[in-house]
Amino acid sequence: MSDPILSTAGLGKKFGNFAANSDIDFSVQEGELRAVIGPNGAGKTTFFNLLSGLSNPTSGTVRFKDDDITRLSGPRRVARGIAKAFQTANIYPDETVLQNCRFAALAKVQGSFRPEFFRASQRLSPVESIAHEALSLVDLTPRAEERAGDLSHGDKKRLDIAIALATEPQVLLLDEPVAGMSIEEVHKTDQLIRALAKRMTVLIIEHDMDLIMGLSDSITVLHQGRVLAQGTPAEVRANHTVQQAYLGGYAE
Amino acid sequence: MMRELRFYGLLVLGLVLFPFALHPIGGYAGLATQILLVGIATMGFNLLLGYAGLLSYGQAMFYGVGSYVALLTVSKFFPQFPNMWLAIVLAVLFVSVLAFLIGALTVRLYGIYFALLTLAFAQMFYFIVFQWRDLTQGDDGLQGITAPPLWVFTNIDLTTTFPSLNLGPFGNLSDVHYWYAFAAIVSLLVIAFMRVLIRSQFGEVLGAIRENEQRSTFIGFNPQRYKLAAFTIAGALSGLSGALRGLYETSTAPDSLTIETSGNFVIYTIVGGVKTILGPMVGTAIIMYLQNVISAKTDAWRLIEGILFVAVIVFLPGGILGSFKRKRARKIFSEALSTETP
Repeated sequence: MSDPILSTAGLGKKFGNFAANSDIDFSVQEGELRAVIGPNGAGKTTFFNLLSGLSNPTSGTVRFKDDDITRLSGPRRVARGIAKAFQTANIYPDETVLQNCRFAALAKVQGSFRPEFFRASQRLSPVESIAHEALSLVDLTPRAEERAGDLSHGDKKRLDIAIALATEPQVLLLDEPVAGMSIEEVHKTDQLIRALAKRMTVLIIEHDMDLIMGLSDSITVLHQGRVLAQGTPAEVRANHTVQQAYLGGYAE
Repeated sequence: MMRELRFYGLLVLGLVLFPFALHPIGGYAGLATQILLVGIATMGFNLLLGYAGLLSYGQAMFYGVGSYVALLTVSKFFPQFPNMWLAIVLAVLFVSVLAFLIGALTVRLYGIYFALLTLAFAQMFYFIVFQWRDLTQGDDGLQGITAPPLWVFTNIDLTTTFPSLNLGPFGNLSDVHYWYAFAAIVSLLVIAFMRVLIRSQFGEVLGAIRENEQRSTFIGFNPQRYKLAAFTIAGALSGLSGALRGLYETSTAPDSLTIETSGNFVIYTIVGGVKTILGPMVGTAIIMYLQNVISAKTDAWRLIEGILFVAVIVFLPGGILGSFKRKRARKIFSEALSTETP
């Protein structure tokens, strides 16, 4: 097996005495579609935050390709190619849908801090084309000129994904991409994630088991902040300890 | 292109008419000069409040320090070089460095904590100026420091008046000093600078950060650095404004660094219109007019100012110029005060 694109070793995060994540050894191959599941409070979101740089671990390391990125800030990880879509759509509600993606494309083109005080961003190619491409990937092109805050819940979440895509990531982290969506919206997002997985590595946290089982190449199960099991959907489904963790005590 | 031409055409016309328009309503030409000079600082302040969503309550420190550095350059540091540019450039440079250092310590904070820390630094500089008698003359302030000539191919004495020409109800052309022309040109340049800046990629990113800082971080921007740049630019404009005002008045005092002066910038901006280019200048004009003209007629002018401030927030929430814009001042103000960390 080749070197993983993203991996962690002994990763842990403590809040006071509470260990939200402990001793997580994790690795994902380039092009893989990996789901991270677990009961509520299992530490999935904490784990994603450690991967995206939203928070720093209290122990262990995170590696991206050959580099140790444990101490790298969020914006710098985005620049390396790790983007994240949020659990609750994290967008710019007062801007147009297209402008939301333009911001991200601008960050991709300009980096974390390279201000142009006298030049408008319209003149910075290829901002426009990156933004349009991201919108067309999530099928929001017809909505480009609408105010983002006026979109439906499902479209807002897809816009959040489009924002992440406009940073041209190699690894995309999706935190509950279908939470609160209608059946039709779930189906549409399912198709979207499959399409994205052909272009990049996708990590996904999700509670919708039907979606996960049909979608992912492999699944990591977290329980009480630790890796409980890992394997193909079929292996995880058959795993006795996983069934215990889901059914005993922490049933949803 | 036509829009730009029309904007600048109207702006130049307005600046030419402004000192004469004040005459029939009880103002005087010198007030027009003061308004433009102070308005430069207010426009810089709006870059923070309106465009970056940062409520600085210490803007007077940059304004006041600017006036002291300019006047001390003339009287103490370099009396052998009587050149107004030297005083202006040194003041702006000094204040820019100061703003960069203080910004580096403050822009990490949010909302009320940011406001209070900037206020604390401003108070610190107020007391330094107040106590350092050898340099600053303490509470007497620096008095009677004649500004050196302004060199523009030849030395120009800015206190020269224009030739006499009776303008009926609008006074006399000779009411206006060359100082006004200089203030108008500098204001015009600052307005043009702000207009370009707001429309630039920098202005766009600043807007993104104000609207959603967490998202902006996770598309790859470094919000702290953008805010620090805005803070430094705003500080530099306050320093320029303070330097020119000090040179114009030939004096400055610790008053220029007080919390009241800082608060004035907030009021000017909100009344005129946050997130508009000209709003801060309009707000400065209205309130300074009240402060100067109404205060001569009644002691209750503060009350009038207060009522106006509240009325604008309630009835024209975008400020006088911004009331037609979608983004309302009240919202910007409450966002700036929000301590929620992204």
